[in-house]
Amino acid sequence: MVSQSESAAVRPERSLTYQPHVDIRDLGPEVVFVADVPGARADGIDVTFDGGVLTVRADVASRGLPGRTVRQEYGIGGYRRSFRLGDGFDATAISADYRRGVLTIRVPRVAAAQPRKVPVVGGG
Amino acid sequence: MPTFRPGFALPFDELREELDRFWTTLTAAPPVHGWGVRPGEGVFPAVNVSESDTLVTIEAELPGLDTADVEITVHGDELVLKGSRPATADEPRTEDGDANATPQERVTWHRRERGCGAFERRLTLPVAVDASRVEARLVQGVLTITCPKTAANQPQKVVVQSS
Repeated sequence: MVSQSESAAVRPERSLTYQPHVDIRDLGPEVVFVADVPGARADGIDVTFDGGVLTVRADVASRGLPGRTVRQEYGIGGYRRSFRLGDGFDATAISADYRRGVLTIRVPRVAAAQPRKVPVVGGG
Repeated sequence: MPTFRPGFALPFDELREELDRFWTTLTAAPPVHGWGVRPGEGVFPAVNVSESDTLVTIEAELPGLDTADVEITVHGDELVLKGSRPATADEPRTEDGDANATPQERVTWHRRERGCGAFERRLTLPVAVDASRVEARLVQGVLTITCPKTAANQPQKVVVQSS
């Protein structure tokens, strides 16, 4: 049900955009996304749900350490990742919470997303 | 001992990354650090280290951690960064197919990439630092440790005497 809509998203989209690590759990009434976006500010995070695709973008201000670099094991840049969820979710009720570098997004299913038999109408 | 678990991605994602890595090692020049495991791979947390005339600065990304979850010890030129990251699950988790599970407990994991558990990283700094003046800040999941160098390791300005 949840699939990545951008197969090449593992690699940085631009030189300074990274794909955050995520945990995705389906609890039934809602799907919960937890993403690591350290260094982001709450007002620099953008969560959109459009056409069944959930997209997370987070800006990260560059932060330089004083002096010369002795060891560099990770790069610093913004984050971006998209997930295709499909239909049956209530876009207006999506909530997002950010603290300590971790973004939690709750995407509830619509109550009416139950299987329904559709009557076929036709003439003789 | 560190028991940090890097989580698991979908098998095909892992396979693709492994193939990418393998292909890169075939087509690229030998890596600076040899053909073994890439530096930083499988080590948590990754760190950036810089050095100025008076300071050694270490930065690490530790999303989800509180200040109480991190322990830093410094002795001479050795810095040990210890801590533990709690698992994501805030709801009870049971195995799939548990008929007795309530709907709340029937959690399906689609992805589990964020690692959790205890970690320990031991770093050798470029020079000895003054352990009593080391400061650390954890802001938005980014830990910055500022270590002033000992006076003996700072550049000394030499006054030129005139005869």
